[in-house]
Amino acid sequence: MKRRDFIKSAAATVAMSLPFLARAAAPFRLGLTPVFLDNDALIIDRLRSSVSAAMGEPAVLIQRRTYQEITAMLLDGSVEAAWICGYPYLQHQDRLTLIGVPQWRGQPLYQSYLITDVSDTAQSLADLKGGTHAFSDPDSNSGYLVTATDLARGGSTPVEFFARTIYTYGHRNVVRSVAGGLTRSGSVDGYVWETLAQVEPSLTQRTRVVARSEWMGFPPFAARKDRATSESVRRFATILKSLDASDVGREVLELLYLDKIVEGEESLFDSIRLRMADLPERR
Amino acid sequence: MIRKAWREWPVTLRVAIATGALMVLLGLIASQQVLSTLSSLQNERLREVAQSHVGGLKVALGSFVLHRDVWEVYDALDRAGSEGAGARILFSAVADDRGRVLASSDPSRAPIDFEFEALLNDAVPVQEVTASEGRNSVRIVEPLFVQGREVGSLLTELDVSDLLAQRRSTSLALLAANSVATLLLALTGYWVVARLLRPAELLTSQMGASGVAPQKIPAEDIERTDSAFAPLLHNFNSMIDAIDAQREAERRLADRERFVSLGRLSSSLAHEINNPLGGLLNAADTIRTYSNRPDVVRSSADILDRGLKHLRDVSRAILEENRRDRSSALLSLEDFDDLKILFEPEANRHGQQLDWNVDSEHSTASTFPSAPIRQIALNLLLNASSAAGKGGRVGFVVRAKSNGLDLKVTDNGPGLSEHARQRLLSGTPVEPGGGVGLRLVRELVGELGGEVALERIGDLTSVLVHLPDRAPDQ
Repeated sequence: MKRRDFIKSAAATVAMSLPFLARAAAPFRLGLTPVFLDNDALIIDRLRSSVSAAMGEPAVLIQRRTYQEITAMLLDGSVEAAWICGYPYLQHQDRLTLIGVPQWRGQPLYQSYLITDVSDTAQSLADLKGGTHAFSDPDSNSGYLVTATDLARGGSTPVEFFARTIYTYGHRNVVRSVAGGLTRSGSVDGYVWETLAQVEPSLTQRTRVVARSEWMGFPPFAARKDRATSESVRRFATILKSLDASDVGREVLELLYLDKIVEGEESLFDSIRLRMADLPERR
Repeated sequence: MIRKAWREWPVTLRVAIATGALMVLLGLIASQQVLSTLSSLQNERLREVAQSHVGGLKVALGSFVLHRDVWEVYDALDRAGSEGAGARILFSAVADDRGRVLASSDPSRAPIDFEFEALLNDAVPVQEVTASEGRNSVRIVEPLFVQGREVGSLLTELDVSDLLAQRRSTSLALLAANSVATLLLALTGYWVVARLLRPAELLTSQMGASGVAPQKIPAEDIERTDSAFAPLLHNFNSMIDAIDAQREAERRLADRERFVSLGRLSSSLAHEINNPLGGLLNAADTIRTYSNRPDVVRSSADILDRGLKHLRDVSRAILEENRRDRSSALLSLEDFDDLKILFEPEANRHGQQLDWNVDSEHSTASTFPSAPIRQIALNLLLNASSAAGKGGRVGFVVRAKSNGLDLKVTDNGPGLSEHARQRLLSGTPVEPGGGVGLRLVRELVGELGGEVALERIGDLTSVLVHLPDRAPDQ
């Protein structure tokens, strides 16, 4: 940690003393979270190359295991922008701003799925009491908040309701956990599950969707408010929203099974906001 | 039964079979050794394979187990089992330091928090892994360490069916190769031994079965045999020659014996001829002197006639004895008359009393050959005469019986010496110095299938010869 701090501070010193050099040399850094199939190296590479091509400068895609790490990097300026979940976006809404929201199947919305093994007879969340449950990430809306608030509304908590809960730090891992029998049920991003059903049907076929949440704002691209006006962030926001206009961009959108990236309204995330209100301790 | 059958087989076959059996035994021992080495090598390979699998997992799992990160443990096990090299992993489970399952590759078999101990069964540490027949998997349990602290345990079940199949096929290939090699060795052994023993076999076959005379080994057969055996075979041929020579010598000796007998009789026979000559000359003078007296001439002519007839009989008997051949005419009463003519002067010369008693009505006598029986009787009579001494008694009895012919020669001599007895009654070698007359009697009687016996009653020694009936063609 000390070594990393040293490098960071050294880099900051250099950047301050030689601003033009630093700007010219520093690539555009985009943080990514497992809100999509972040395990697919092809998608990551295509996304990076298309962003680089469109920006006219090298781009670096940064992945971390947890949402929290990427959010922290976004907040401390280690990345210029990040594709994060609506939940952490709302948690830090005072310091973050939307720069684009993906549109999937005609609307910038998605759902959270509650899934079990295909042979499980559970019909609702209540039937899963006492079982093991896989969450994606404690800062994930679809992979944690939805189920946690559903339980909170019933006067329970995940720890009380389930015999054991685990975090898989990836929506695909939640599906794997349930399909493999590690846990009886799981909370997963509906967009990821549906995309997996197309690219990896053998995995989703072993699971069954027990419950779908209400429609909620799709995980957005966000940037720090104080950097929103910087040239690179503005240029990146423009590129995002015009991906569907170029062949390279459309190819990336096709790989992500998305229609396009739209401006996005704050109101898209109202349903998440409502759920957050039911979990005051996690706000 | 088997042992008897085994003994009846040719020695070549028996030695070759024994050689083959030894080769098979050798092959079995060699195979066992190789299989044992192969087994330990494969166990070593198995341990290496197990070590590489378990070692990789241990490194990957350590920190996850320390943090009790269920998902990461599961992810590591799942990926280890599904990726190419992990196809060997049938099952794996990881427990924390409390002995509870954190995650397993098959949660239906070992869910989270399952009792780890219940999974262990016959699991062993990786260094003790061995492949046992009939089991296609091995179970390994290994502790997990992080910075020297034991944080949990790993159980892995590895599929070793391919290694076992490989081991089986290698073993089978080895056994097949060994069997072929053993068969080749056994056949080669048989061939070599049969070749080495060929002279022995040749010798055995030429030696002949019992009762069949040995045959000489042809020179070309000797040339073909092993040079080391050639002297032996040459020696065998020399022995056959020596036996033939001995037989020939014996035959000649037997022939000569007849002349010897006559020789022994010659002086008495000379007297037998000489004695009547004086009477005959007197008769001739008487006829010349009293030629005018018919009664004297007539009586002298009678004397001349009787004397000349006697001389004729004596000479005929001598000629007959000389002319006789072993396989000539059959025995008749005339033969015994001849014998009496030949022997009587000898008895008279010694002043011996001769009791001549020939059964004139014998009918079976005609089936016996004349020459050997005359030789037997003459030899025994001469022997009896010399034993009886001056003024002794010699007896000769011939009886025809229903089962053959009996000859009995008696004398009142001192009895047969031990040497003479052996010559007459046993087949022991004749010691030099003695005559061959009695031994010849024994051999001739033997050839006719008869028996010789000796008895002494009072002062009389009797030699009894029984000759069994013979078919007319024999």
